[in-house]
Amino acid sequence: MAKDTLTTPEVDVPAQQQSTIVARSGEASLQNTLRNISLIIGREYKNRVSQRSFKISTAVLMLLIIIGSFVPTIIQFFASGSSLPTKIGLINNAGAVAGLQGASLNHFIETGLNGTTSQAAGAGSGSRFTISSGSSANLPDLLKQVKNGSLPVLLVLNRNGEQQLQFTYYSASDPSSNATDTTLPQVQAIASQLSTMDKSSRLGLTPTQTSSLFTPPSFAVVNTQQVQDHRSVGERVAGSIIAYAGIILIFMSIFMYGMGVAMGVAEEKGTRIMEILVNAATPFQLLAGKILGIGAAGLTQMGALVVVGIASLLLQNPLKTALFGSSSGGFNVDITVVSVTLLALVLVYFILGFLLYASLFAAMGALVKRQDEVQNAVTPITWLFMVGYFVSFFGIYDSSATWVRIVALIPFWTPTVMLMRVGTGTAAGWEIGLSIVLMIAAIFFCTLISARIYRFGILMYGQKPKLRQLAKIARSAKAN
Amino acid sequence: MGLVVEHINKSFGPLQVIKDLSMEVREGSIFGFLGANGAGKTTTMRMILDIIRPDSGRISWNGADVSQVPRKSWGYLPEERGLYPKMVVEEQLLFLARLYGMSKQAAQKELDEWFERFQINANRKKKVEELSKGNQQKVQFLATIMHDPQILIMDEPFSGLDPVNATVLKEAFLEMHGRGKTIIFSTHQLEQVEELCEDVVIINKGESVVQGRVQDVKRQQGRNIVRLKLENDPEVRWLDTLEGVQVTKRRQDYIEMQIQSDRNPNFIVEAALSHGGIINRFELAEPSLTDIFIEYVGRIALPDAPAAVNA
Repeated sequence: MAKDTLTTPEVDVPAQQQSTIVARSGEASLQNTLRNISLIIGREYKNRVSQRSFKISTAVLMLLIIIGSFVPTIIQFFASGSSLPTKIGLINNAGAVAGLQGASLNHFIETGLNGTTSQAAGAGSGSRFTISSGSSANLPDLLKQVKNGSLPVLLVLNRNGEQQLQFTYYSASDPSSNATDTTLPQVQAIASQLSTMDKSSRLGLTPTQTSSLFTPPSFAVVNTQQVQDHRSVGERVAGSIIAYAGIILIFMSIFMYGMGVAMGVAEEKGTRIMEILVNAATPFQLLAGKILGIGAAGLTQMGALVVVGIASLLLQNPLKTALFGSSSGGFNVDITVVSVTLLALVLVYFILGFLLYASLFAAMGALVKRQDEVQNAVTPITWLFMVGYFVSFFGIYDSSATWVRIVALIPFWTPTVMLMRVGTGTAAGWEIGLSIVLMIAAIFFCTLISARIYRFGILMYGQKPKLRQLAKIARSAKAN
Repeated sequence: MGLVVEHINKSFGPLQVIKDLSMEVREGSIFGFLGANGAGKTTTMRMILDIIRPDSGRISWNGADVSQVPRKSWGYLPEERGLYPKMVVEEQLLFLARLYGMSKQAAQKELDEWFERFQINANRKKKVEELSKGNQQKVQFLATIMHDPQILIMDEPFSGLDPVNATVLKEAFLEMHGRGKTIIFSTHQLEQVEELCEDVVIINKGESVVQGRVQDVKRQQGRNIVRLKLENDPEVRWLDTLEGVQVTKRRQDYIEMQIQSDRNPNFIVEAALSHGGIINRFELAEPSLTDIFIEYVGRIALPDAPAAVNA
């Protein structure tokens, strides 16, 4: 009897004949379970981190993070390089102005201009000024310099018939056409200040009286709706940057590694090594080992990225000090100000989120026949996850709204939405605690259901079961 | 004692795939597990391995329920072969052996021995997908036996092998038998069963149709085969009318017929002589397992019945 006449491929065997719930679970001793799980973790971990795609993606993401954290410093470097101190020529024909004259007047104007820089010009542009005075005899000479551009600005002070100060501003550039040039408004501000001081001194007021006259009233703003945010501006900026980088990183990694779990399960099924594996180990050991092994690889990558990110952010201040002489001025993210809690929460939510989603991904992977069907099978999970991702981006405009607070507590969406709320400083401590408790509960629940589907799916090579069948399995699958 | 399967039943949904199946495999024997495709062989093997549980009935190994037998005792070669395609051969085998409970050192030692014997030392650092099919089969075989199991359950161990590799594997197979292992295997090559097995069971649609020692199974048939050749009468048409004889094959070199086993075949010689025939060949034979298999399992496996093999 020729053997090939008897080996009919088992294609027309009914689906339910192939569908089986793998029984072996529970009998394994704890020692055996731990041993096997750690063996499987070791295999999965090694398998993943030795893949070329893992190495490349880690390297690319590291590079992106390094570039990203150096960009503000680099921009600042180029911006400051282009704005050398603006030279202003001064001809004083008015005599003593508010008691100031010659060098002391120059000094007043110079400190006035440079001192107001950060408020008037805003962060980033950092223009500075030097004042050089000349006599009225130099006027034609200086005007020539203004014309040929070697002197940017010439300011001439006079007094009219009523002893009022008169300022004339000579410049080669048209101030109205150059919106970024803040020299004119700054000089105007100083001029009006000088004029007022001059008038009040002529009225007999002392400089102290004058300055008290112009001190603005104390004016505090209290918003009773918002949670009080006691953090500094720098801390808040750094908080949202970390939160957003964290959300994107969490979303990407959970999806990537969850997909890895689904593909891994489908691979074991597709290559039929599953049949040997379920003989050697229990389904629970296989499921736990796969999730924890791939999760550990994911955590390694996340950890490497976070370390590189923190290191390159910490490098910014020394670098700025080296480039600009002082770390003050410009856009300044101080990593040490960012609460350690936030960084820790990024890792906590990654771990919890991964555990939650990975078991679902594994269940889906166990239901397909071949690896190329995984993409379709996991679509519902992807959608579920995307909801939280989008809410975290749209919810930022009103991160303390009731609906956002509720969404942030739903375990599937906590990793992204709660992280956003923590980043924007609107999450209370009890909300964070509650979200973690809810996530852990959800992990237990989902893993229980997924493990049942997994046990049912791994030896099933027939038709994909309908949703109702799955629900029945999830509810009723017993140990045998 | 050995492996005892007692009255097991298994249904998947409305379909009952195993019906009241009982069998006994003596410890240290080679046991042929036969049946057509879809007869329930793989399901039964999975139940013996306690991968799935029967709905009723009991399966025990030396008196202990199979769920209580350590995993290390079982070796399983599934019908659908599978290994991690992108994993290095050596790492893969060590991983599986350790998963079965072996220590790393013991697994390494065992691995070195078998690699030497199978002459695949050069392939130990290669990925499985880079191996030839024959070498993949060897690695697959090693994955089943490396942890030194007591009971080997092999689904079609020799399918898809060229004669050279089949011989290598058969030797390893016999060596496992020599070491006192109990081997249960299924095959469609029934000559191998006659060659290797002491005991056999044939199942059809989840039910045992015949089982026992191969010799007994053949005798149970209650029939003997007679092959006859007459030099002066190749057709021997008078045989069709002879009582107690059923002609099964008319070939150029001989005519094959079945007679009741309790009848002395001499009456055929007498009849031939009385018809003036010159006897060239007269031989008595037992029915082959193939004949028995076809008779019990029906026509689905007949080579000339393609309708049943609508793959």
